[in-house]
Formats: sequence, C-alpha cells, structure tokens
Amino acid sequence: MKNRESWRSKYERRDNFKRPYFSIAFLAVLTTGCLFAEFIMPQDPVYMNLAEINAAPSGAHLFGTDTLGRDIFSMIWYGGRISLSVALIATLISTLIAALYGTASGLAGRRVDEFMMRGTELLMSIPNILLIIFVQAMIGEPTVISIAVVIGITGWMPVAKMVRSEVKQIRNSDYILAARTMGGRFLYLLTRHLSPNFMPAIMFMIVTSVGSAIAAEATLSFLGIGLPTNVISWGSLMSLSQQAILSGSWHLLIIPGAVLVLTIISITDIGEYLRAAGRRERLL
Amino acid sequence: MKRKANRGTGFKYAVSKIVQFAATLFVLSLVVFVISRIAPGDPLRAFYGEAVERMSAEQLADARTRLGLDESIFTQYINWLSSAFHGDFGISFKYKQSVTEVVSGVYMNTLILTLISFIIIFTAGIFIAVFCVLREGSLADRLICRIGVALGSMPEFFVALILVLIFAVNLGIFPSSGAYAIGQSENIADRLYHLVLPVMSIVISHIWYCTYLIRNKLSEELRQEYVLLCRVKGLTQRRIIYKHCLKNAMPAIVSIMAIFLPHLLGGTYVVETVFSYPGLGSLGFESAQYHDYNMLMVISLITGFFVVAANMAARIINERIDPRTEYGETVYGAENTGGTYEK
Repeated sequence: MKNRESWRSKYERRDNFKRPYFSIAFLAVLTTGCLFAEFIMPQDPVYMNLAEINAAPSGAHLFGTDTLGRDIFSMIWYGGRISLSVALIATLISTLIAALYGTASGLAGRRVDEFMMRGTELLMSIPNILLIIFVQAMIGEPTVISIAVVIGITGWMPVAKMVRSEVKQIRNSDYILAARTMGGRFLYLLTRHLSPNFMPAIMFMIVTSVGSAIAAEATLSFLGIGLPTNVISWGSLMSLSQQAILSGSWHLLIIPGAVLVLTIISITDIGEYLRAAGRRERLL
Repeated sequence: MKRKANRGTGFKYAVSKIVQFAATLFVLSLVVFVISRIAPGDPLRAFYGEAVERMSAEQLADARTRLGLDESIFTQYINWLSSAFHGDFGISFKYKQSVTEVVSGVYMNTLILTLISFIIIFTAGIFIAVFCVLREGSLADRLICRIGVALGSMPEFFVALILVLIFAVNLGIFPSSGAYAIGQSENIADRLYHLVLPVMSIVISHIWYCTYLIRNKLSEELRQEYVLLCRVKGLTQRRIIYKHCLKNAMPAIVSIMAIFLPHLLGGTYVVETVFSYPGLGSLGFESAQYHDYNMLMVISLITGFFVVAANMAARIINERIDPRTEYGETVYGAENTGGTYEK
C-alpha cells in the first residue's frame, strides 16, 4: 500500500504545473486589442484599396493586404471581435444546455437517465462539423448570431455527460437530501447546490470549448458556409487565402492563421492547466 | 448500468446485437429527420431556395401537396422512412438526380481516405505513445506533448493549406487538389499520389488525439501492481509495455478507436473540401451551400451509420477480449482520462 502511495506522489510531482502565464498574457493582449480595435487600427478594416491588393507586409501595411485590398492588421483586431464573441456566445449556450440536461439526467431515475445518455451518444455519432452545417443549412442564411447559436446547440454533449456523472456522485449527499426534503425544486437545487459542485470539474471543458468554437467558426467561414466575406471574422478573412497562396501571397494564410492558432493553443493550454489542477485538488 | 449484459455465443446473442443496432439506427434516422424539419421558415425554401420568391400562391400550394408537407410531421416521417427502405432518399436539389446515385459515386473515395488515415494514425500513435511512456516526464516526452497539443489545436483547414503551401506551391511535388489527374481515374498510382497531402493533413491534425489517450492509458497501466511483479522478475520496461501493458490496454485502445471515428470523419470532410477531393465531405459542404437538404440528410445518416457500426464492433471485440467489460464504462470512460481535444 505504501508503495502505491509513493508512486502516486511521484507521478503528481512529475507534472509540476506552472501557471500558463504566457497564454494568459497573450489572450489578455488580444482581447484588449479587439475591444479597443478603433484605437489600434491604422486604417478602416472594410476600406478596399484596389490599388494595393495582395501587398506583402511592409511599413504601410504591417501584415500586408488581402485580395480585396483591405489592411490585414486592422482586420485581425476588428475581426477578432466577431470571432471571440461567436465563441463566447456559443460556449454560453452549450454550457447552459449541458448544465440543464446533465443535471436532469443525473437526478432522474435509472431508465430515464439511460435513455437521455443514449440520446447524447447518438448525437455524438454524427461528427460535430457535419451537425453544424446540417442545422445551419436548415435554418437559413448564416448570421453572427445564428452561427453562434448553431455551434452552441451542437456542442453541449460531452459537457453534459460530465455534469451528469458529477451530479450522480453527489445526488445522495445529505445536504442535497435536506434541500429536497424542504421542497427545493430542480432549478433551486441546480443553482444553489449542484452547480457549485460540478462547475470546477467542467471548467476546463468550458474553456476548451471556447477554443473549439473559434475553430468551428473559422472552418465554416473559410469553407464559405459561415459568415460571408463582408462580415469580417478570422474565418472569413482566411476564406480568400486558398486562392491567394496559389498565386504566391503566403502572408494571407500565415498571418491570420498564426493569430488563430496561437489563440486556440493558448485557450487549450489554460484548459489543460485547469484540468490538471482540478485533478490534483481531488487527489489531495 | 449494472444490468447483466447478454453474453455468450449463438443465435440469441446475434439477434440481440442486431436488434440493438437496428434500434439505434431507427432513432438516428428520427433525429436526422427532426433536424431536417427544424427550419423556422418555410421548408419549401429548403427545397427551392431563392426560387420560392418567384413562385405564385398556386404553385406553392401545389408544391406543398406534392412534397407531402400538408401531412402531420409523424405521417411525413413514416412516408420518408418507408421510401428510405426502398433506397429512395429523394432527389438532390442541386444535382437534379437521385441522392442515392450521387452518393454512391463518391462514398468509396471517402472510405479509402479515412481508412488509410485511420491505419496510419493508430500504428504511429501506438508507437509514439510507447515512446513517450518509456520516458515519462523526460524532456523528449514533454516536448512531444507540447508539439502534439499545438498540432492538435490547429483547425484541419489550416494544416491542409500549410501543406499545400509547402508541398504544392513551393516545392511543387504533390498536387494541390482533386483525386486523380484528368483521364487517370483508373490509375491507382496516380490516385495514391493525389492522396498524399489529404492523408498527411488528416494524420497531422488528428494523431495527437489518440496518441494522448493511449499514452495516458499506458501510463495508468504502468502504475498497476502486476507491473511491479514484472519488474521484480527482471523484465525491461520496454518488454513490460509491449508484452503486458499493451495487451491489458487493448480494450481501451479499441474503445478509443471507436470514439475517435466521428472526430476523424469530421476532419476528413473538411480536408476533402479543401483539396476538392470528391467525397462525402466535399459533397456535404457543397450541399450546405445550396441548402440541398435531402443530400445532407443522407450524408448524416451514412456517417452516423458507420459510427454506430464501429461502436457496435468495438463493443463486440471488447466483450471477446475481456468478458468483464461493461461497454458504457470503457468506451466513454476512456475519453475522461484526458480527451480535451475536441475538434
């Protein structure tokens, strides 16, 4: 027994977690920049300067211009607003659905619970991106709100499963029982007793799903079924890059892509930290 | 969940599996049908697109009756299902021919692409995972984990475009699109040549997902007591992993393969579209642009079918490997050991 304990502590010590300072700093700079884009942008992001299309990065255009002659540096800050807000709205929606569905399933009887979980497994058998384009195609032309809602309502399943397993673990605790005896209803239980308990466990999933939502929006807009090119987001900005790289304008792909990928990596990094920290807390 | 599962061999077992499979597919078809009817506006719009605005009231009413939209949702579903059983999934709005015909022309391409990527990902993934676990916590391990997370975070389309930029535009050694050169559709070598970049994109953006899960599973396995016994016997770490841990981790690896499939298919669809590779994915994205909803329904159904079938296969294999397996716990429990790289 003693041996196993020492193994575990050795394992825990091995992952000595540093706080993800770099990622936090990067995201902080990025969000601030996007929020106050007006003060940073050297030129109007929607202004098309047809005299200077596909210009390589230079003093006049820090990150160059795109196929329509728009300044990429300005578009990144301006488009970041759309990309980040789509991701945040989507995550908010998916977390809400996941909390409600997961709690309902966790508190329900065995049969209902099993039925509800089979349902999520079934939805998870269709790839997320396919589900998104299917739903989006059904509800019509994409807008910022509709994209966010669709990404949100198709991405709650993994979180709901996590919520459900957490709720199942604590549903028989004395304080839940006490609250129920005193007539506490579903929403009261959820907000007062259950969510404070499962929130730490699903926090890392919520953070990571912001990252996947950013990727999903970029993929959709890139493939031309998300936001149109006149609504500037990171995805729609990159939708012109496939043609551009074939004609040698690499900066149209690399620069917005680097911002996009760095953002997602930073978010994943913070998520990983939260997960590791949460696990360590539980073991201690 | 602690219900006694149907085990054993023979007729009864086969029947129970088939019934489960059929029931899952039935519910899947219901889900897909419901999604196709959630259009808040006029479903006719989904059929005719912009043309709806130019149609007269009579034409609209006529179209409505013809498409059976007057009936209740339930009747509509029954009608759809019964024609689906006859292989009739409707007409593609974009291609003006039977959906089944269009799909049957391309689904093989997708299967080939997915299968090749799947095999590469799992063979390489297991080796990388063993490599990491042998040096757990070392610089090499941490470095691989870092790079893996970075690659895994990149959207598929970005990886694909970077590869196009490097190998097609700058080096000019691989083609940037299509499944074969003009007039070479029968030439296997040419087809494989066109598969290189798509397969590379899929492998690069997805390999970390399963490598990471396998690595964590193996590292967990290494903390078991039988490993201590092996070490006492004098076996080397490498031998312990290959001879004992991998065997014990097999049910988990099979489960990882099953949960990984939807991710892989999703990635394949995006990559297909970037490379204009004729497959279910590029067809799906094209259909989404034209609101071709019959096509999207069939693509979702086929995809769901493959995933459900893979889950079923994984379940049967796991019951063979380890009769104690409770399916739900292994397959979905595997993901909780650390899969946060949702795409």
